[in-house]
Amino acid sequence: MTRVQVLLGLAAIAMIVGLWFAFTAPVDAFQGEYSRIINVHVPSMWLAFLAFGVTAFGSIMWLIRKNLRWDRLAEASAEIGVLFSAIGLFTGMTWGEAVWGRAWDWGDARLATTAVMFFVYVGYLALRRATPDPEARARRSAILGTIAVIQVPLVYFSVNMFRTLHQTQTIRPDGAAMPDEMLVAMLINVAVFTFLYIALMIARIDVAKAEASAAQTQDLAGDAVKPPLLSEVEDV
Amino acid sequence: MSFWNQAGEISRIDLMVERRVGDVFRIIIPFAIVSLLVFPLALGVDLTGISLIGPAVFWALGILFGMQVALRQAANDSVEKRDLYALLGVDPAARFVGRAMSGSVLMIGFLAALLAAMIILYSPGLPDGWVGPMIAASVLMAIGLTELGTLAGEVTAGLRNRNALASLIVAPLALPLVIGASQVLEALSSSAGILPWILLLAATDLALAVAGVGLARPLEEASR
Amino acid sequence: MKLSPVGQLIALDDIGVDRGGIPVLRGVNLNLDESRVVGVAGLNGSGKTTLLRLIATLLAPSSGAGRVLDKELGSPGVYDVRDKIGMISHTPAILPELTQRENLVHFSKLSGADTGQVEKLLQVVGLDEAADRRADASSFGMQRRVEVARLLMTNPMVLLLDEAFSGLDSEAQELIGALIGRTRSKGGVVVMVSHDATQLRGHADRVLNLRSGRLEEMS
Repeated sequence: MTRVQVLLGLAAIAMIVGLWFAFTAPVDAFQGEYSRIINVHVPSMWLAFLAFGVTAFGSIMWLIRKNLRWDRLAEASAEIGVLFSAIGLFTGMTWGEAVWGRAWDWGDARLATTAVMFFVYVGYLALRRATPDPEARARRSAILGTIAVIQVPLVYFSVNMFRTLHQTQTIRPDGAAMPDEMLVAMLINVAVFTFLYIALMIARIDVAKAEASAAQTQDLAGDAVKPPLLSEVEDV
Repeated sequence: MSFWNQAGEISRIDLMVERRVGDVFRIIIPFAIVSLLVFPLALGVDLTGISLIGPAVFWALGILFGMQVALRQAANDSVEKRDLYALLGVDPAARFVGRAMSGSVLMIGFLAALLAAMIILYSPGLPDGWVGPMIAASVLMAIGLTELGTLAGEVTAGLRNRNALASLIVAPLALPLVIGASQVLEALSSSAGILPWILLLAATDLALAVAGVGLARPLEEASR
Repeated sequence: MKLSPVGQLIALDDIGVDRGGIPVLRGVNLNLDESRVVGVAGLNGSGKTTLLRLIATLLAPSSGAGRVLDKELGSPGVYDVRDKIGMISHTPAILPELTQRENLVHFSKLSGADTGQVEKLLQVVGLDEAADRRADASSFGMQRRVEVARLLMTNPMVLLLDEAFSGLDSEAQELIGALIGRTRSKGGVVVMVSHDATQLRGHADRVLNLRSGRLEEMS
């Protein structure tokens, strides 16, 4: 078994444990069973913020060191961040539809800015895909990745800056706004998702390294071009 | 090769290229959805107002971003490529029809994604039985807008700043499409007949198709 | 305009062409029988590309008259003969997002040629091992080879080459030379333009100079 298979296997087990805590924790009196969504929604958003922060870190390190391994780190983290911000948005909208009666609430500035953050990194990935040369791709992505991270603190603190229906931060300096059992379940899932992030990152970086190695061992471009068969031109 | 075979081949390649580079699904659609987010933020948080303007914003962004979908083939054209197709014996009318076919497929996908996003973000109060008429209006608008964009691309071929120029040409000419499409829902809401508006859209599409096929050769000559 | 004599594939009589309101060609006369190769030399901006595109029936004359493959230039009849004309432009005409093979299959389908010969054509031009590389990831020389393969497939009676040898290695230049020879041996005509008269002399029966919008014999 490879280390990636081991890590992903452990992550799967951890997710089962997290789900167990999510389904055995008490529910909110008003929200009912829908309050359990918080065990996916909050960890997904935490993971998205973490991932985009790592993308920014990888981007800055590439700009300093010009080593492609930092670019691979930034790319892998951005892909995972886009995936989990999509999950966060989807679970948030599902919860909103069930509890507020509407999937989207413009009164919630954090929802809107989260959606904007999602599309910023969709643009980041589109930019990468449109740039075939690895060095040029790393350079352009590093610049965009560094600038784009400004979105992350904006999303997190927006709830304190705008009038909103969304819950204020669940965990604040003066204590948490939920019972201890629910908080424990949520924090366990945050830890589980973080472990999943690490496993996915290692898997994705391994794939990127394998692709880079394959490119290195590829035949020289010119070797694929053979001399023309001039004697056959007349009759072809 | 027959007219329809040529048109089909041009369509096939256009869709293959889109699958590879993803201009519409990876760039234009996300950009359009971001724009859906901009309107309410600019207007301020008023839930009732946002629900009311949802369909109008959808049609407006459908036209504005739809032009980018319609003009993307023209943007990738070059004198050499146009000459090549001419010397391969490709009928200019077949090229118009082929591009209109593939462009319409992509446009329908674009409008479908934009519609879904609008419904989620704006929670519009849509009238009962809206699905069929909305699909019909969207498909007809997609076809008409694609035909307009393809024509505008031909009219502006080889000119400096053709993208902005082509957009300027398309926007006012797309008015019958916007009016027809937006009034379908209005008519449904007020229990009036939707048929006149559907017919307006269909007639516009037909007129553009006839113009595109009939003017293909003069347009090709004028672009040299 | 009288009918061109039998065997005369190109007949230009006192042709003038204006581009953007500015005269580019004036009083051009050129008559080419089958199996002839003519080179046209000229400085940058002398109108060589305009001359080729005129012969390709892609431009109509502003004055004078001409016939290519017995169709009058500027008339609707040129649509019937365009598929018998082949051109290599200054910039390669291929679809960059497609592979070499996909480009050739696309061209063969559009022109009604046999798609079964694509693999053989790729072998002949030396691209069979690079056939799955995207055109935009290929070198200029590779793109030119795809163009040669396309012309081998479509078998034009009038072959037009615009600086076709520029930027090519010796093998690719030999390939273009073989294409010229094949066109000639099958009864077609070749018009090649270049700013390098020496290169033209290596392949052409005669070399003309395009100067002040007119064609003159080169001394």
